[in-house]
Amino acid sequence: MSTELGAPAARVTTPSGDWYPDAIDLAAVKAAHIPLYTERTDITSDGNQAAAVAGLQMWRCLIYAGFPITPSTKWAEFSAATVNSQKGSKKRVKLIEAEHAVADYLAAAAAACRDLIFTTATSAVGLDHMYETVKSLGASGLGNVMIVNVYRATANYPLCIEGDPSDTLGQRDSGMIQISCRGKQQIYDTILQMPCVSMHPEVLTPSMPGFYGIKDSHRNARLTCEPDAAIHEFQDRWIKPCPLPGLINGDTAMGNCVTSRFFQGFKVAQKRRFEKVFDVLPKVGADFERTFGRPGISFFETVGWPESGGVDLAVVSMGPDFGTFEEIRESYAKTHGLKVAGMCIRLLSPFPREAVREKLRRARVVLVVNQAHHQSRGHLTLDVADALCNIPSPPAVVSTFCGMGGADVSEATWEAMLDSGRRALSGDMPPPYQIFHEGAAL
Amino acid sequence: MKPLDLRTTLRDSVLEIRGEGKAGGGLVLAFQSLASLALTDPNLNVQEWPFFSSARRGANIRSYVRISARPIRIACEVTRPSLVLLMDEGAARSVDFALGVPPGGTFVLNTRHSPEVCAKHYRLSGRVVTISGDEIGLKYLKASIGNVSAYVAMAHAIGGFAPETMIDTFVYALQKRRIPETVLQRNREALEASLTEVKEGVFDEAKPGDHALPPFAGYGDLPVGAQTALRLSQSNLTAYYARSGLRLQFSDPDGNCNGCGHCITNCPEGIIHWEPHPEKGLRVTGSDVTSYCKLCAECISVCPENLFSEVPFAETWKEAEVSS
Repeated sequence: MSTELGAPAARVTTPSGDWYPDAIDLAAVKAAHIPLYTERTDITSDGNQAAAVAGLQMWRCLIYAGFPITPSTKWAEFSAATVNSQKGSKKRVKLIEAEHAVADYLAAAAAACRDLIFTTATSAVGLDHMYETVKSLGASGLGNVMIVNVYRATANYPLCIEGDPSDTLGQRDSGMIQISCRGKQQIYDTILQMPCVSMHPEVLTPSMPGFYGIKDSHRNARLTCEPDAAIHEFQDRWIKPCPLPGLINGDTAMGNCVTSRFFQGFKVAQKRRFEKVFDVLPKVGADFERTFGRPGISFFETVGWPESGGVDLAVVSMGPDFGTFEEIRESYAKTHGLKVAGMCIRLLSPFPREAVREKLRRARVVLVVNQAHHQSRGHLTLDVADALCNIPSPPAVVSTFCGMGGADVSEATWEAMLDSGRRALSGDMPPPYQIFHEGAAL
Repeated sequence: MKPLDLRTTLRDSVLEIRGEGKAGGGLVLAFQSLASLALTDPNLNVQEWPFFSSARRGANIRSYVRISARPIRIACEVTRPSLVLLMDEGAARSVDFALGVPPGGTFVLNTRHSPEVCAKHYRLSGRVVTISGDEIGLKYLKASIGNVSAYVAMAHAIGGFAPETMIDTFVYALQKRRIPETVLQRNREALEASLTEVKEGVFDEAKPGDHALPPFAGYGDLPVGAQTALRLSQSNLTAYYARSGLRLQFSDPDGNCNGCGHCITNCPEGIIHWEPHPEKGLRVTGSDVTSYCKLCAECISVCPENLFSEVPFAETWKEAEVSS
């Protein structure tokens, strides 16, 4: 992995400090990779395994840090078992003996080896414990850090291992690129694409792809795995040598930032890089679709939108429960003689407000389905309302909660929420928010 | 009453399957294997997941599978399954395993009883498939684990799978768990034996309202500290979490209890009975195992005189109730 002992590494002086571009022999790292698959292969997989397989297929991903926490534990277990079974593998799974230290480890390792990818998977309490470092990472410029968040209701009383996205939504302002997945294939595909976005020279921002705990992490389905060589070719098209030696240094992150003339520039640059995600992500997604023939990463998924864009009722939600809505959408629309469409949000941070506004502007009522605890109308509702705020005649926004604590969202619950949106069409606006469970408004 | 054809269901819509069992009994492995078996057909899609919480060994657990020739989008729990499995009859003490099954559905039971007896006892209308999985497990695996046979019985009920594929798929699932070859071989033998032990019949024993899904009636008022209230609830019978087929026994015919009181202080449920004793201070007289003993075995491990033990306990069908 390193140059020959005794051979001095080349040193380049930059405004941010010394840079040793030849310290890691990337060609040797790539050559040491042992492929998991040499041809397209179908396997039975749950969400954790899908995420782990994708990481293990990347040649840039050598070290996997982890701390076991339900429901993401199997990610580390599967990674460790696979690495162990590959004779001669140079990959290593590191069990870090404290949850908060996982992020510290990622930050340090990623800063030292910025052309390699450092990843972990965590949930609720684990992510809570990493909070401080995650926020530092968000500003670090270390796009080579990927924290896979297996959603779980945020640590509180009573203890809940089921998945709602309150942990990831609690990290909305950490500065990480957050993208939500549903289904095994989408999880796998997203993990493969995220480094292409986050390590893009114009983005350089760490990523936090995620999926629902239990509902996706522990649910098995068919997964199509691509050959490692094809994945490498795809990623190598996008991931270039990192142009900066990392942005964590004394002048910006650790020093007396407020008085530094560089500080404002640093934060503005962070925000600009973050917004570049809106440009880069669709391009990566389109390239993925061209390469592998499956949908690439996108701001959101849609179902049921007519060419004209005008719908009576637009549903905005996220996660696997959106599939249940998809299942009943047509029959509900037919029964009530309505045009009903849906939008499943994928990119949580930065929130694609322009694209959301454009899609929703011709809806009469927007029904937003939140699944995480929020002190007000819901995280998604606020984002959607923000996106719609400067439209001259914005659609009415109906806000609902369901599935909190990972509870089941049944067909009856979806129908009850849709009924609430339907009543709003006739001017019967519900309260600021409603909570639904088992087909009833609580 | 004509039984539903499961192959037609999975071809035209979605075949939904639910299983009830106890943690540690292999229910999840049986369902994962069934999912993998379905995926050996490239035209089928599958969704399989377990449903449990912080369940300790012996607690009731549940598993689900959906199989369809169409892409499966629906993500909610299975509430109207066409096929249900009762893996452990002890689980039926606290849940109605046939809840929500439409008339003509398929009921698979791991039991020593015949399909006819089961249909009458549980009031089932449809196709009843039974297999004595625990006995097969005891014979080949040296443990009363019925998941091998339950998997075979479910695959048999769906139909269309080659026996060799059924065996290979299950064994592969075990291989992924790094099970030693000798145990794999025993599982192969148990799988082969199960293929010929499946019994079935069609019955119409359900009465109107049996196994109907109850409407959700809300949570009512949840006080702060509701979890504590639940823990102390008289209706939260923790004995249901005990391992099936075993019960705690206290035996002290010779009066060996030395009055140390370790069992009393270590019992998390406070079910140890005692009385004052003039010399020892106290004397343990027994324990109330009817409602709250979950067989944590704390008393067994701390008693210096070895007066507590686990003894076999036959599940009695008198305790099973059919909701109506």
